[in-house]
Amino acid sequence: MLLNMRVNGINYALDVNPRLRLLDVLREKLSLTGAKEGCGEGECGGCTIILDGLAVNSCLVLAHQAEGKEIITIEGLEKDGELDRLQQSFIDKGAVQCGYCTPGMLMSCKALLMKNPNPSNEEIKEAIEGNLCRCTGYIKIIDAVRAVADSKEGGN
Amino acid sequence: MEKWAFYSPQSLRELIEHLAEIHNPCFVAGGTDLMIKIRNYKIKPTTIVNLNRIHEMVYIRKEDEAIAIGAMTTFTQIAESPIVNRYARCLGQSAGNVGSKQIRNIATIGGNIANAAPCADSITSLMALGARVKTINIWGEIHEKPIDDVIIGREENNLDEKEVIIEIRIPTLEGGYSAFSKIGSRTAVTISKLNMAIVLSYNKADAAIECPKVAFGALGPKPFISDAVANSIKGKKFTYPVIDVIKPVLLKEVEASIAGRASFPYKREAIMGLAENTLNLLMDGIKEGGY
Repeated sequence: MLLNMRVNGINYALDVNPRLRLLDVLREKLSLTGAKEGCGEGECGGCTIILDGLAVNSCLVLAHQAEGKEIITIEGLEKDGELDRLQQSFIDKGAVQCGYCTPGMLMSCKALLMKNPNPSNEEIKEAIEGNLCRCTGYIKIIDAVRAVADSKEGGN
Repeated sequence: MEKWAFYSPQSLRELIEHLAEIHNPCFVAGGTDLMIKIRNYKIKPTTIVNLNRIHEMVYIRKEDEAIAIGAMTTFTQIAESPIVNRYARCLGQSAGNVGSKQIRNIATIGGNIANAAPCADSITSLMALGARVKTINIWGEIHEKPIDDVIIGREENNLDEKEVIIEIRIPTLEGGYSAFSKIGSRTAVTISKLNMAIVLSYNKADAAIECPKVAFGALGPKPFISDAVANSIKGKKFTYPVIDVIKPVLLKEVEASIAGRASFPYKREAIMGLAENTLNLLMDGIKEGGY
């Protein structure tokens, strides 16, 4: 069954089995393996991507529910070989340790900044409440988002 | 792996036109609960009918004496809605507490009702608010029924095989206030072990509680209205320690619902704190002047 969607600025028309989840299609058909399958039930946030401007768990969305929609994955953040400022800030602030949660964490934070370039710390915490990280203790992740939001270029 | 048929109507009209030919449809709204049931083999669908392209089912409107919410409206949209937070604050509070940000961004109120989980946060608030559910059937007929009639048990609704929830209607109450709170095993992204909503009207002149409605969730197979708890606070003044009046009644309600169950010793204590939280939240709302 044909699925049309736009991923990281590229339009795709793919033949996709209706049983597949959006996560499966991104990882296996488009080789975008940044989004991770952790729990497969919406608890861990490892599979977070941005769907029409909102952070969602790609493990809980059927691929065909994304028909006609615009998707951004972690692979879409970098532009012309340059990391997105949020990605660079994660590196600078030590917000990446084992790295497994990082793509999902970044997409949740990016979705927040796209909507609200100057979030409060409470709003940052709310944005990442659905992303589990067992290494950093979250503080450095919040610092990384804070630093981008407070920079002179702003969060957007 | 068995193949699925997948169908995505783009309007209610298109849905109704095709529903007659679709054998044994499995409706998917946001899909956040359904996907897990499918993966656990609790549901084995053959034909998926995806509702997320029916944009006419996404709205929140204030009408004369009610607010109307389209069934495909997400919890993020509900939690952020000024209309909901003004006229049905407990629903905004429960919507803002469902799952995580990622879940709230796709999970819908219609899907939550159809799924009928005993711990569904929005349902407790909708019960206390006296919400009514509008559905459409295969002949295009629209029915409206109290939410208490739609949800009949643990993960059980009484919708026909081809009946779809299209709208939720919540009566607005002049001088009304409401609050919702829940207890889970952690502070965020938690499934309710117990939740509660209170709706009442409050006349500032005589400071007495009028028309109280109280609902509990995760205290039995489905969220329910408690007349006993509501009656115990009816006519009371907020200056009076309402929580002391309510406590023995709460205990009786827990006994009646889950006596003998493993969760009983925990819940009979937990409900006291939950009621206190909910009442405090409600009083904060009264001070702020919200509904």
